[in-house]
Amino acid sequence: MSFNLGAKRLLFWTVMLAAGVSSIVIASAAENPDPSLIEKGRYLATAGDCVACHTAPGGKPMAGGLAVATPIGPIISTNITPSKTDGIGNYSLEDFSAAVRHGIRRDGQGLYPAMPYTSYTKITEDDVAALYAYFMHGVPAVDYKPAQTELPFPSNIRFAMRVWNWLFLDARPYTNDPSQSAEWNRGAYLTLGLAHCGACHTPRNILMAEKTSQLLAGADLGAWFAPNITSDRNSGVGAWKIEDLINYMRDGRARGIAQAAGPMAEAVDNSLQHVKEADLRAIATFLKSVPARHDSTDPKPPFEWGAAGGDLSTIRGAPIPADRDQWTGPQLYNAYCATCHQAQGQGSFDGGLPPLFHNTTLGRAHTANLVMVILDGVRRSPDVSMPGFSDELTDRQVATLANYLMQQFGNPAGSVTVEEVKTSRAGGPSGMWMIWMAKMAVGIALLLLISIIFVLLRPPTALDTRSA
Amino acid sequence: MPDLTAADFVIIGSGIIGSTVARKLAQAGASVLILEAGPRVTRAEIVARFRNSPRRSDWMSPYPPAPWAPHPIYQPQSNNYLVQAGPYPYEAEYVRQVGGTTWHWAAQAWRNVPNDFRIKSLYNVGADWPFGYDDLEPYYQEAEELMGVSGAPNTGSPRKKPFPMEPVAEPFAMRRIRERLASAYEVVTNTTARNSRTYDGRPACCGNNSCQPICPIDAQYHGGLAAYAAEAAGAKLIPDANVYRLDHDEQGRISAGLYYDPDKISHRVTGKTFIVAANGIESPRLLLLSASDKFPRGLANSSDMVGRNLMDHPSTSLTFDADEDLWLGRGPQSPSSIGLMRDGSFRAEHAPYRLDFTNISRVDSATSALIDQGVYGDEFARRLRYSAARELNVKNVLEILPDPNHRITLSDQKDAMGIPKPQTHYSIDDYTRRGHERSQQDFRRIAALLGGSNLRFSKEGSYANNQHICGTLSMGNDPKSSVCDQWARAHDHENLYLASTGVLPTCGTCNSTENGLAVAIRTVRHILSENKVGDAPAVPRAG
Repeated sequence: MSFNLGAKRLLFWTVMLAAGVSSIVIASAAENPDPSLIEKGRYLATAGDCVACHTAPGGKPMAGGLAVATPIGPIISTNITPSKTDGIGNYSLEDFSAAVRHGIRRDGQGLYPAMPYTSYTKITEDDVAALYAYFMHGVPAVDYKPAQTELPFPSNIRFAMRVWNWLFLDARPYTNDPSQSAEWNRGAYLTLGLAHCGACHTPRNILMAEKTSQLLAGADLGAWFAPNITSDRNSGVGAWKIEDLINYMRDGRARGIAQAAGPMAEAVDNSLQHVKEADLRAIATFLKSVPARHDSTDPKPPFEWGAAGGDLSTIRGAPIPADRDQWTGPQLYNAYCATCHQAQGQGSFDGGLPPLFHNTTLGRAHTANLVMVILDGVRRSPDVSMPGFSDELTDRQVATLANYLMQQFGNPAGSVTVEEVKTSRAGGPSGMWMIWMAKMAVGIALLLLISIIFVLLRPPTALDTRSA
Repeated sequence: MPDLTAADFVIIGSGIIGSTVARKLAQAGASVLILEAGPRVTRAEIVARFRNSPRRSDWMSPYPPAPWAPHPIYQPQSNNYLVQAGPYPYEAEYVRQVGGTTWHWAAQAWRNVPNDFRIKSLYNVGADWPFGYDDLEPYYQEAEELMGVSGAPNTGSPRKKPFPMEPVAEPFAMRRIRERLASAYEVVTNTTARNSRTYDGRPACCGNNSCQPICPIDAQYHGGLAAYAAEAAGAKLIPDANVYRLDHDEQGRISAGLYYDPDKISHRVTGKTFIVAANGIESPRLLLLSASDKFPRGLANSSDMVGRNLMDHPSTSLTFDADEDLWLGRGPQSPSSIGLMRDGSFRAEHAPYRLDFTNISRVDSATSALIDQGVYGDEFARRLRYSAARELNVKNVLEILPDPNHRITLSDQKDAMGIPKPQTHYSIDDYTRRGHERSQQDFRRIAALLGGSNLRFSKEGSYANNQHICGTLSMGNDPKSSVCDQWARAHDHENLYLASTGVLPTCGTCNSTENGLAVAIRTVRHILSENKVGDAPAVPRAG
C-alpha cells in the first residue's frame, strides 16, 4: 500500500477545483431540461444499468431496496427516484454528481463501492447532466424508503470510505487518448465508465478496490465467475471477432462461442441489449485492445474444446440405480441434458439450444459457471429459459454430471468436486468470504486509524470533497 | 411430528386436482395435509426409464407401480389390479405417484361446449349438470391461467378473457391436413396446457413428441408441478401413504383417515374437512372400503351411486397413407382436431364426438409392423421411410352416457396390502356405437380429401380407451340420484368433499382434466366462502 500523499493532495485540490467550476457552469442545465436531454439520460442510465441494483424484485423501478450481497454483508440499494422524502428529489446537480461520480451522499456520508462510482467517476459532465435530467424528470417519484444498510463493525463506519476514496478513487472524468480512434475512445469511456464492466470482471484487492493492474482479468462473483475479457487469445476474448462480441452483448449469445448466464444475462437483459450497435462496437473494439492477461492453464481459446459425441450407448439396457448418487454421467446426461442439447451434445440446428462442445462455459478449467448453470439454469429475455436443477440434483450428481460434461465436451483439465458444488449451492465460497471479511475488518480498522491521525494533522475540510 | 397428523383439510390424492385444491386452501391460510398413496418420482427418473424402455409405445413402461400402492398395468402382461367383470373390458390406465396421472398426458385442456351441461333438457339423454357453462367460465379461466393453456378461439367454448398465451406453432403435417380438409372441415388447434413461450418458469415446447409418456422439459403442465406448488404454498405432503379407510363420528362427520405406509404400518390422521381427490376409480373404492355399521353401503353412498355411472371416452380410428409426405412426429403429439360433431340435435340419437388427429411419430409403430411382417434389409428401410412420412391416423372421441350399470365395485381379490382391488363393470351401449358408425363417414371423407390409400379401420367392436374417468362420484341436486351436491360436497357428510373428474355428471367429448379442475376450483371458492376465509386467512389452524 504505497502512495504519495503529496501527489494525492495535489490531485485532490485540482479535481475539486475543476468540479466546483464545472458544477457552476452546468448547474443551470437541469432547470428546464429539454426532452432530448432526458432521453439521452435515459439511454445512459440504461447503459449504466442503474435499474439492476436500484430495483428490488417486484419493486418499482429505481426505488431501491435490493440487497446486494458483498463479502462484508448485504448492501441495500437506495431509492434514486426523485421522491423528495425517500429519494433524490432534493439533490442538486452538484449533489447528484458527487454521489454518482465520487461516492458522496448529499448528507456527506460516503457510499460503499458496491455503487460503482469508481467507474462512474469517468462519466463526463455533459453525460452526468443528462443523467440528472433523466432521474429528475424521466423517472416517476416513488415514496418508498428501503431498509438501511447495516454492516457489521468496522465496515459500518462510513467515514472510513473517505479514506478508501482517498486511496482508491481516481476521481477524473474520462479524457480521450488522442493516439486512438474515436471509436476506441468511445469504447474505453463506456467500458471503464458507465458500463462498469470492471465492477465484475476486474479482480479486487483485500479492500475491495479493483486492481487496476489486472484490468478485466476475471474475478469471482459470488458463486459465479466473471471471466477474463482482456485481449488475450486463450484466456480472454482475443479470439473473438468484433461481431461475436457485439452479438454476445446484444443477444446474450455468440453462436459457437458462448452464452450469457447468471449476472451477465441480467446485464444483457437490463442494459446491453438496449445499447446502440455503434456503442457495442466501440466497447468490443476497446476490449480487443485491453492488455492481455494470460493464464497458463488456457492452452487454447475455450470455445475450441470438444466435439460431438457421448457414451449414451453404454447405458441402454442397464438398470437405473435406485440410489440417485450412483447414476453415471451418461445416465444423468440422458435424463437431464439430452432432451435439449441432443444425444451428442450438438444442440439444435439453429444454435438456439446451444451445443456443449465449442462452448466457453465448458472450455475453461474454471468450472464455477458450469456448476451454476446446472444448478440455476439460464434465463434471458425475451424467451431463453434453461431450467435449473438445484431442487432435483444432489451435490454428488451435479459433480458427476459436470465432470462427464467436461471430459466429453469441454476442457478435460477442469473438474468439479462435491465440495465445490456444495459451496456454489450455498452462494459461493463463503469460507473464503469469511477470510475476506476478516481482512476487510483489519483493513478498515487500519483506515480508521489513518483517518484519525489524518484528521488530527489536517484541517477537517481537507476530507470533505464536497466543500469546494 | 404432531403437525403432520392433524389439519384443517386432509386431502387424499396429490394429482393435479387434489394438489391444486391443496395449494389454494393453503394460500388462504388453512393448514393442509395431502396423503398420496404412491412415491415421489422425479421427471428425470421417468425420462431415463422411458429412454431405456424396449417398449417405447407402452406409455406405462416408465411408470412401474409401487408394490404398496399398485396401479393397473396391461403390458407385457396384465397385473390384474383393475379386475374386469365385463361384459366389455374397461382397461383404464392411471398413475399412483406424487402428481398423479397427468405426468403422462397430451395436455389437452378443453372446456366443455355449453350444451354439454344440459343434454337431458335439450336431447333427453344422459343428465344435466347442476350448473351451467357460464357458472363455470371463470373457473375454466383460472385453471387455464394456472396451467398455461392456449388454443384456438373457434372451438365452440366461448370465453370472456383471452388464453394466457398463443398456441404452439402448428406442425407441418397439421397445416397440410387443415389446408386439404378446408373445403369440408374446420380443423382447429387443440386447447392444450403446453407452453408456446416461457411461462411460470417453464420453457416452451421444443417438439420432443413424447408428451406421452413424459414431457422431458416440463413444457406441459402436470400434477407434479401442482404438487410442488401446493407444498410451496405450505401444504404438507406425505407420500407412500395409502389411505384405506375414512372413519366418521356419531353425526356422520368424517373424523379420521387411516393409511398404510409401505411396511403396512397403519397411521391415523384427523382433520376438520376431508377432500377425496384420488381419481375416478380409487376415490369410489375408498368410499366403499369405508363402510361401517352406520353406513353399510360405504360413505357418501345412501344413493347407491358411488362408483356407478362410470364413463370414459371410447375411440375407434382410421389409419391410412396420405398422398404426400407429412412426417408425423414433429411438435406435440396431439395438436389438432375437428369439433364439428361435438354438439347438435343428433345427440338425441347418437353419441357426439370430436375427431382427433395424432401427430405421434410413426417410426416405432411402423418398425414393429414391418418386423412382424418379416420385412428386412433395403425393403425395410424403404418401407419404413414411406410409412413414417405418409401414415396418418384420425380417431373419434365418443361420448358415453351415464349408466348406473357401468360401475366400480370392490373385488373379492385383494392387492398386496390386503385391500380389496377395484373391479369394473362396463360396456359400450348402442348410443355410443351409433356415434362410432356415424363417424365412419367422416373417416372416409377425410381419407379421400388427403388422397388416402391403404385404409385400415380399427377392428369393428373394438374401442380404445382414453383414461378420462368420469361419473363415479356424480354431482347433482337430488341426493337420491347423485353422490354430491353442486359444490362437490357429499350429500351424506357435512365435512366431506370430492375433487375429481369422478364428480362430472356427463363426459361430453373432451378430455376430463380441465373440467374436473375447474369444478374443483369452484369447490374451493365455495369452501373458502363458507369458512369465511375469503381474502384474509381466517380458518383456524388445527391445534
